Amino acid sequence: MVRTAWRAELLRGVRTALPAAPGVLAWGLVTGVAMVKSGITVPWAIVISLLVYAGSAQLAALPLIAAAQPFWIVSLAALVTNSRFVIYGASLRRWFEEYSLRRRAVLGYFTGDFTFAMFMGRVTRDGEFAHRDAWFLGACLFNWVVWQVSSIVGIVAATAIPSEWGLQFAGTLALLALAIPPCLKWPGLAGAAVAAPVAVLARGLPFGLGLLVGILAGIGAAVAVDSLLARPEQTVQREQG
Amino acid sequence: MTLYMLLVTGGLVLATFATRAALLLAGQRFKPSPRVEAALRFAPICALAALIAPEIVVREGTVDFSLTNPRLVAALAATAFFLWKRSMVGCIVVGTLVIAAFRFGVNG
Repeated sequence: MVRTAWRAELLRGVRTALPAAPGVLAWGLVTGVAMVKSGITVPWAIVISLLVYAGSAQLAALPLIAAAQPFWIVSLAALVTNSRFVIYGASLRRWFEEYSLRRRAVLGYFTGDFTFAMFMGRVTRDGEFAHRDAWFLGACLFNWVVWQVSSIVGIVAATAIPSEWGLQFAGTLALLALAIPPCLKWPGLAGAAVAAPVAVLARGLPFGLGLLVGILAGIGAAVAVDSLLARPEQTVQREQG
Repeated sequence: MTLYMLLVTGGLVLATFATRAALLLAGQRFKPSPRVEAALRFAPICALAALIAPEIVVREGTVDFSLTNPRLVAALAATAFFLWKRSMVGCIVVGTLVIAAFRFGVNG
């Protein structure tokens, strides 16, 4: 019984992640091509893609590897580039805290931009729904497979794929579709309206730190608008009580 | 070379795993205040906005809000289509078609 329900939730996760596949595919392909074009050999590019599974961190590491920088500098750059995932982890934590350490390690390992946004959308709607680990894992594993297949195709066929196709924009469009629904509420819109320009203005910061600054500024704006909107309701409740 | 790549790969795996899993592994030991927890509800939309905005408006290093910027026009068209049909695939297809139209229309 429990197993069937778990598996059903896993499949539901896969189904939710399905429409983003064209975007993930294009982004994986571009990352694979970029790795080989930066001078990494095909076998190592495949190993890195399979084990590291972090598009933006891999891309940030490429010029450093090409310049033969010490491995700890490369790792540090990846750590900082990936810093937005610390915020993702902070947001996901409360929904997964009851699961075993091993389960949480797996869920953490497979977290991506798409699956994070999709999962938070689901729990915002449905709260602590049962087998949410399965749902998240389903979405993440599907994403992982699509990413790996396209990334390895990109690695193997790198010379045949011109980078000026601008394929990675399909990934941006998939993220855009995820960003629109939360913008239909005032706090979400305020968050996006602040995060976007701040990220653009701060894009020159090293290791993609502008992204982090944009996210934090956006969260601040969303909270401010949220509490402004909440205040009149609270007053009403207090008067009624 | 092989040793270097081994170290680099190991370092990248550790760095990316640490950022993604650390707070999940901390579990009960990392409990933000209810205010912070409430603020984190807005993390997804802010992350999405911060990720996509530079991809859309920055063109060859400078901000381009003109309608000659293919990515800006593509994003506007994709947004309009999504609001109409609520389809992510449709959003991707429309945006990609606009980019293609710019490429082949403007150059051809």
